[in-house]
Amino acid sequence: MAEKNVTTAGAAGAGARFAEPMVRIEGLQKSFGDLEVLRDINLDVMPGQVVTIIGASGSGKSTLLRCINLLETPDAGHVWFHGADLAAEHVDVNRLREKIGMVFQGFNLFNNMNVLDNCTLAPVTLKKMKKAEAEEVAMRHLESVGLADFARADVNNLSGGQKQRVAIARALCMQPDLMLFDEPTSALDPEIVGEVLEVMRRLAAEGMTMVVVTHEMAFAKNVSDEVVFMDKGVIAEKGAPSKIFSAPEHPRTREFLARYLEG
Amino acid sequence: MRKLRDFVAGDHRYVLLGTSAVALVGMLLSSSPRPAMSFLAQAFTVELVMYYLLVAWLVVSAAALVLKLAHWRSYGTTSPFVRPAARRALRYGSYAVWAIALVLLADRGVMGVASAWQAAAAASARPQDDMLQGILYILQHDHQTFTTGLATTVELAVFGTVFAFFLALLLVFARIQTVDRPDNDFVRFWKRLGCGFAKAYSTVIRGTPMMIQAMIIYPAIFALFRGTGMTTTEINGLWTPFLGGLVTITLNSTAYMMEVLRGGIESVDRGQTEAARSLGLSQWQAMRKVVFPQGIKFAIPGLSNELIINIKDSSVLSVIGTFELAFASTTATGVYYNQLQPSLISAVVYLFLTMVASWLLGKFAKHFDVKPEPVGSTSDKNLVGEE
Repeated sequence: MAEKNVTTAGAAGAGARFAEPMVRIEGLQKSFGDLEVLRDINLDVMPGQVVTIIGASGSGKSTLLRCINLLETPDAGHVWFHGADLAAEHVDVNRLREKIGMVFQGFNLFNNMNVLDNCTLAPVTLKKMKKAEAEEVAMRHLESVGLADFARADVNNLSGGQKQRVAIARALCMQPDLMLFDEPTSALDPEIVGEVLEVMRRLAAEGMTMVVVTHEMAFAKNVSDEVVFMDKGVIAEKGAPSKIFSAPEHPRTREFLARYLEG
Repeated sequence: MRKLRDFVAGDHRYVLLGTSAVALVGMLLSSSPRPAMSFLAQAFTVELVMYYLLVAWLVVSAAALVLKLAHWRSYGTTSPFVRPAARRALRYGSYAVWAIALVLLADRGVMGVASAWQAAAAASARPQDDMLQGILYILQHDHQTFTTGLATTVELAVFGTVFAFFLALLLVFARIQTVDRPDNDFVRFWKRLGCGFAKAYSTVIRGTPMMIQAMIIYPAIFALFRGTGMTTTEINGLWTPFLGGLVTITLNSTAYMMEVLRGGIESVDRGQTEAARSLGLSQWQAMRKVVFPQGIKFAIPGLSNELIINIKDSSVLSVIGTFELAFASTTATGVYYNQLQPSLISAVVYLFLTMVASWLLGKFAKHFDVKPEPVGSTSDKNLVGEE
């Protein structure tokens, strides 16, 4: 914890007070049919900050995350990314998404490509990188998640943990400013959750701005700068992990955490 | 090949049951009338011995069956038929039964056809009272009619399917367009128009019979040419029934193949698109690089099926005078005042064509790593030691 604060002090520490938030969410609303999934969500994510979103299933965590890169279109409200309003007509969502990496619960690796091609597809297609150059970048990221040996492997032959690490490397190849993690370890069995969390922990330590939806309370407690607890489509409580985990104010938060700490 | 060797060399549980059927067929062959060129006619005693060997086999089988029925549960352990020596003897016996049945098949079947062929060749008109001779007579005199029809059918099916595939690719892209956020009004308009056209096309083509489509397309384009002031002879040289048939089968198959492709594309997991879009790829890029290559793989079985359907359905094109196999068959029918025999010939040819096509397509699909799994089955291998 202390070590991490040193590395990100410039961004998320005291000096960040005057910095612009990287993501600003204001009055966000979203419903699917009659079901109101998000109601009046307001949230700022500062550069270098790690925000974890926790809460029960169906509380709207994932939808909130997916609104940040417009995989879901909000019904009302605004999402600003680097000062650009994603809801505005003239904003090129595709360009903004290049700067927002996303990791999914179900990995979603491209089944028709090997590991390396998964990583180089977007850089070659969008950044007009030479194939060799993109491969060099991809190899660096695969190395950092410990999968350089699997570069030529078929993605269908990897374990869940390996797939998720490839997915992280793939997102990093676009050199994003922000990484979104949508329950990245929920589809993994407990033994290999650690290898993915380790990669995420290192990424956080390197100063990446991250928004993480997770059920891993230890990760939320130890790695994040801010914890957001969602309940029934609203942010019930948010604050520093020390506060949320030791002195939660909202009764729902207390109830939720109690259940987790028991189990 | 290895499978066949293992099969021949192995002792089988059902050897008596299976080979009894073969023996029965052999006995039926032996009691059927002897053709003119029968070689066993010179060796009557040999045939008699063979016949009674088959009878003996049936008697042994019947004995085993009675034992099995009497000792339903303990048969596997107590019956004399399951002792290793007996099983080996039964295996050699089954070879003998097969050999006898094959000799009889050669004598009655192969020689029978050869005799009929000779008789048909010697005949001055189609033999009326013998079906086989009649069919062979038609083949001898009209094989050219049938081979021309066969070639046209293959051309129509192959070219029609290939052209239709490329048209379906274009059409399916129009069909699956959905309006995306960054699209301006112009793009939105064209996407809606393309999608609407594809839907309407598919509804109309799939909702009308191909025979009627041929009867509309052929004369309609004929009339168009007529409008330019060409004479009938000139138009006939240009707009042939073959071309009319090819256009019909292509346009028809396009609609079906588009639906098959759409099904394949839509069965690609939504997460694939989301992952591509989350990296910043546009809708078109995500479709082209990620979704489509996977979707077409799902569609391969359905697409190959179209070729087989087209081989058969090209038969309706005879209605506009396209000289394919069904037309050839009708022509022969007119010559001999007999519908059954030419139809039997063309049925066999169609069956041969579809079987060859499905075998080739199976190899093709394997090349693309499409492995059909048997539905609901686990394995047909016996557990080790199971009796």
